[in-house]
Amino acid sequence: MAESQYSFSLTTFSPSGKLVQIEYALNAVAAGATSLGISAADGVVIATEKKLPSALVDETTVQKIMTITPSIGVVYSGMGPDFRVLVRRARKTAQTYYQSYKEHIPVAQLVRETAAVMQEFTQTGGVRPFGVSLMMAGYDDNGPQLYQIDPSGSYFAWKASAIGKNMTNAKAFLEKRYSDEVGIEDAVHTALLTLKEGFEGQLSGANIEVGVVGPNRSFKVLTEAEVNDYLQEVE
Amino acid sequence: MSRGGSGYDRHITIFSPEGRLFQVEYAFKAVKTAGVTSIAVRGKDSVVFVTQKKVQDKLIDPSSVTRLFKITKYVGMLVTGLPADTRAIVQQARQQAADFRFKFGYEIPVDYLAKVLADKAQVYTQHAYMRPLGVVSMLIGIDEERGPQLFKVDPAGYYVGYKATAVGVKETEAHNFLEKKLKATPGLSYDEAVITAIGALQSVLSEEFKAADLEVGVVCDGPEGGDRAFRVLSTEDVDHFLTIISERD
Repeated sequence: MAESQYSFSLTTFSPSGKLVQIEYALNAVAAGATSLGISAADGVVIATEKKLPSALVDETTVQKIMTITPSIGVVYSGMGPDFRVLVRRARKTAQTYYQSYKEHIPVAQLVRETAAVMQEFTQTGGVRPFGVSLMMAGYDDNGPQLYQIDPSGSYFAWKASAIGKNMTNAKAFLEKRYSDEVGIEDAVHTALLTLKEGFEGQLSGANIEVGVVGPNRSFKVLTEAEVNDYLQEVE
Repeated sequence: MSRGGSGYDRHITIFSPEGRLFQVEYAFKAVKTAGVTSIAVRGKDSVVFVTQKKVQDKLIDPSSVTRLFKITKYVGMLVTGLPADTRAIVQQARQQAADFRFKFGYEIPVDYLAKVLADKAQVYTQHAYMRPLGVVSMLIGIDEERGPQLFKVDPAGYYVGYKATAVGVKETEAHNFLEKKLKATPGLSYDEAVITAIGALQSVLSEEFKAADLEVGVVCDGPEGGDRAFRVLSTEDVDHFLTIISERD
């Protein structure tokens, strides 16, 4: 943790018992581009809108879905710079685990450690909470798992969930469509349809990002061509 | 309570009720107080940036006023915003680039340097004891694997690659101009890139420039390249381009 002159926390209780800085952080998340995740019987898919601020941006330099280990990927809604900090910490945690045990870190443990970092920033002196919610997807000995971590540091495992601008509609859509037996291919289709619901304009491989992990335990971000193929199947 | 904030959300980087960081937003406004506009354009084998050279006082030695900086032989940086913060970020960039070269034995890639500076900027947005820097930096270089690269780093810790971009007082008008221009002619040559950049500046500021009013920095691959090194154009070179532009109109 960095040195700080502040020995007191900036996130303090309001008279009604709320931690308002965390609520405000959630507002920052709700203003971000929509992201979602679906946990299928044989894999997990996460996806996000890649809304670029201008046509002048070189989209090949933008990557919102990041791999933490070969089996775990993560996407966010909210503030990009804050996300990069968490990705760096998560990768360090994963590497440290690997160095000690020569095995890849289980999803639940990585989620726990990352959530602990986020909680730290709601209590330490002189810092503000992270303005991101994370959707972490992975496949380990306990099978496919999807976790959502909020700025407060609280986390839950989800069968399917959405975060960001359009989350209420997206979650309602997912609730209707989800079933426990759904396979990974169907899950990708459902994810694309859910994104389409709230999307202004045409969905294409260039303005969304999709990440998938299956029984091969290898988390991959789909290429633009692969995304376009799935989109055609969905049309 | 009509206003939920603690009242300090405008003074240090904590969240406002709507989830905004006012200090970061104010830092963006500070960039505009420099009173200049800067424009950068990426061609198919070159990247150029140009900015206005505004010297406040006739008694100031103009050769000591510059916002273009060589970070390494191959990476150039144009910083728009508060002058003292400019020095701070240039120093950080040079330090990082030198450390990288020492540790890894090869020149720092432009996108990695941009990431490092952006990550530092993010720290200032999250820790209350340091304010964000009031500068936006544009980094250019020719990457061995990916060719010409242009990155912009801002006080929020956001960084991304661009085909062309602008910073400063007239950035919105400049963006519109550049979008139209690049849609019409993608893949510019070195000469066209310089002319586009200077032309954009002249157009949005509605001014005719003399070479002494501009600073132009370029990296170029190919025969005119000079080994991909970053260089600042001399007054004669700038004059040459200004003449071409005025003869076109």
